[in-house]
Amino acid sequence: MNLTKKEEILQVEESEVKKQLPLSLRIDRFFSKPVYRKSLDAITIIFFILVIIGPIINIFSTIFLNIPKIYHDVFNDELLGNLQWLNILRGLGTSFSIATIAVIFDLLIAFPTAIILTRYEFKGKKILDALVDLPMAVPTSALGFSVLLFWGIFGIEPGYFLIILGHIVFTFPYIVRNMKIVLEKTAVLYEDAARTLGAPGFTVFRTITLPLMKEGIIAGSILAFTRSLGETGATIIMSGLVETAPILIVGFRRQLQLPSASLLAGILIAISITLLFSIKFFTRRVGFPAKKVFPKLERFLSHKYLRITRDSLAFTLLIVIIIIPSFFIVSQIEGQKLSQELFLANDYKWAYLYVSLINSIQIGFLAVVINLIFGIPFAFIITKRKWGKIITILDTILDVPIAIPSAALGFAIFLFWGPAGLGLFEPGFFMILFVHVTFSFPYMVRPIIGVLESSNVGVEEAARTLGASNLTVFRKITLPNIKQGIIAGCIMVFTRSLGETGATIVVMGNVRTIPVLIVDWVEANNFPSAVFASILVIIFSAILIFLLRTVSKNARKR
Amino acid sequence: MINVPTIELKNVSKTFDEGKVLAVDNVSLKIEDGEYAFLLGPSGCGKTTTLRIIAGLEEPTEGKVLIDGKDVRGIPPEDRDMGFVFQHFEIFEHLTVWENVTFGLEMRGYSEEYIIQQAEKALKIVGLLEKANEYPSIFGNPGLQKLGIARAIATGAKILIMDEPLGSLDPKVSRVFRHELRNIVKDLKLTAIHVTHNQEEAMAIADKIIIMRAGKILQVGTPYELYENPNSIFVANFLGETNFLQGFVLKLFDDETMRVWIRLGGPKLNCRNVRNRFILDDNVVIAFRFEDVYLFPLDYDFEKSPYDWSKMQFFRAILESSRFIGDTKRFYLILDNGDRCVSVKPGSFEENFKLGEELIVAVHQDDIHVFKMPKNLIYELSLT
Repeated sequence: MNLTKKEEILQVEESEVKKQLPLSLRIDRFFSKPVYRKSLDAITIIFFILVIIGPIINIFSTIFLNIPKIYHDVFNDELLGNLQWLNILRGLGTSFSIATIAVIFDLLIAFPTAIILTRYEFKGKKILDALVDLPMAVPTSALGFSVLLFWGIFGIEPGYFLIILGHIVFTFPYIVRNMKIVLEKTAVLYEDAARTLGAPGFTVFRTITLPLMKEGIIAGSILAFTRSLGETGATIIMSGLVETAPILIVGFRRQLQLPSASLLAGILIAISITLLFSIKFFTRRVGFPAKKVFPKLERFLSHKYLRITRDSLAFTLLIVIIIIPSFFIVSQIEGQKLSQELFLANDYKWAYLYVSLINSIQIGFLAVVINLIFGIPFAFIITKRKWGKIITILDTILDVPIAIPSAALGFAIFLFWGPAGLGLFEPGFFMILFVHVTFSFPYMVRPIIGVLESSNVGVEEAARTLGASNLTVFRKITLPNIKQGIIAGCIMVFTRSLGETGATIVVMGNVRTIPVLIVDWVEANNFPSAVFASILVIIFSAILIFLLRTVSKNARKR
Repeated sequence: MINVPTIELKNVSKTFDEGKVLAVDNVSLKIEDGEYAFLLGPSGCGKTTTLRIIAGLEEPTEGKVLIDGKDVRGIPPEDRDMGFVFQHFEIFEHLTVWENVTFGLEMRGYSEEYIIQQAEKALKIVGLLEKANEYPSIFGNPGLQKLGIARAIATGAKILIMDEPLGSLDPKVSRVFRHELRNIVKDLKLTAIHVTHNQEEAMAIADKIIIMRAGKILQVGTPYELYENPNSIFVANFLGETNFLQGFVLKLFDDETMRVWIRLGGPKLNCRNVRNRFILDDNVVIAFRFEDVYLFPLDYDFEKSPYDWSKMQFFRAILESSRFIGDTKRFYLILDNGDRCVSVKPGSFEENFKLGEELIVAVHQDDIHVFKMPKNLIYELSLT
């Protein structure tokens, strides 16, 4: 900076230089008025209430208003007595036990896997990382089918045990992913500090790393548990005669036993919400036991050979139970049979496949667009508005669609918007879209909230002091900074929409999406066509997950 | 003649968390046109909140903000036409240096030529014109802050507000930079407010310093006034390095001086009594700067010295330790009564004092300030 010679004063007569503001800035200024912001907030909140809360409250009021009918159908039928109730109880029991076992098994493999993927350096790490993430993006019905085919070689028949194996496969990525995120954020320095203080590896992990990972482990476990609880597509394929709660709902809906369906959906929703709230409430209070130290035992457990044994055991299980079954289906393609069944048979399977694919893509795309329109303002409300308690409540309710089984949610929406409720939609394309918008809304909002919370408010203030109105700041400063989160949200919504089965089956009428088509074909024993359709969506999902990873990697670099 | 605005706050208060936290407590101040004013105080004293209220980034809970005599409450920051420099720069990382600097000009809808002319001038002033097409990620902290300043002055706003603008720079860099900052403000004839917790920085470049603590203004004045006439123990302690001793008033003289007896049988010293509101036996705290303490060996012959010693106050102390810091030497002393004090002399000061040696300590009576004993001396002496 050379200021020895005086700079001219930065000031010229205003009238000479002032031009009219460009149109875009004038529009920004006009719509930056508080009244428009408040209107947008109001519209967003109304959307949220109608789409997320409305159907859920509605299902409880429906149950309440139809108590006599439900009592008659479920507990006191002339022919069946309380058989329906026993079915419901058995279904709930099966679902919860499967989800619990799957999550426990996931955790056992996920701890070493997450550590291997974050703390070790080796060749092929990126590929392994991608393979671990992939099952999350693949429609569960395709995964379930692949798992069915793989374990079929070893003579494992559809049933309880196979369902568990299947659920482990598609819930696993949720847990590993969440663990990885916290591990990457946690500074290795803490662990180094503990080591310099004389703690052996195992003690460091138990007393330092594990407590720091708490939130991630719990978040991942909730997600995995609720995904397992609510999964329908893969479960139908793998279940044989076993009936989980979502399968029961689908069954009740198919047989038009609406009272039983609403009771079961209501129970599932109530349990899920209670679980969600109590876990949210307790995680902040409950810590991991980390105080006590057992020097001798833990030094022994930290031994190199034990560590290698543990890692290789986890690695083997990861390959055998999760990765190979996920992609086994790729080896099952049989060209000749396929062409006969898919293209040459006179039931036009290829046409069905084509139409379903288009349906899936259209629904996914529209769900993304609608969730984008309402998701960004909603994320802003959660992060920027100072409404105190209301924000906490909205923030918690936001997770409800993730927590409740999608079949139950689908049924609640069917009751609310369908002929039995407001009567605005018939089962079919638009109702499927509606359901998909509802259950994928949090997947759009969460990543945006994430980037908004970590984004720097200071630059927005800087832009304000430079003369930018609220909307200009949003357009020119905020949006470029949260772009990554928005793209991540879009991809998440699209993949979830693409993979959803349970909710779709409940509201689809005679419209088909790809995952439902796979279920149909497996049930009809059209294996070669089902294999082909599954591979198609697996490739599609692989592309999506690749995009997601590229986006989030760029986000981390910045 | 270009109109340079004044800034005035009248009884401004700001509370956070529904009134639970009082950040700014009934603050009134006026900054004249073309003045470079400093808000100085420990962290959490409300100075940044005051600044944000002036810029419109916060609305005051009570009171008025007047810019050039006009009440600006309710006017959003984008319409206040002030330049704001942030402690953490808040540079738009997705825009180039040029786009950062022209941002404010674009927002005002100026003509193309004027935008180019202004942006080039601003970048030239901070010396970044050659880097105009780069992205800000190439810069370290000093470069980012230069860009932050260029961005704030490019719009031609006549008020420049700076929130710890040098706080994120290395001490050495910041020491050079602050003079450049003052030059910019003065050359552009801006009215500037600068928030800092760094006393030296404020002393070095301020026209006027406003000292804040716990949401209140304690004292306002030029650096010289504040240093020479601190109105409280806190201000005396916050600016410069000061010895504090406790005692009581032994005697009051007519000529605005008085005699104070340091506690526990310490020395009796004549002090300056500017405020003259003491009575006999008042408990007091006396304060004198480290650099105002002179040291002599016991056998020093004052008769032969050419100086006038009549107003010097003498007492004895034992040298506990000493340190050489390059530009200065510091001597740590223990008085007879166990109290301690420190003397700072230039690094070139010649002496051969030994540790544990008894020395004669001398302080001029006009350099000794007297304060009433506060209710909570520890709070007054803490720097937060």
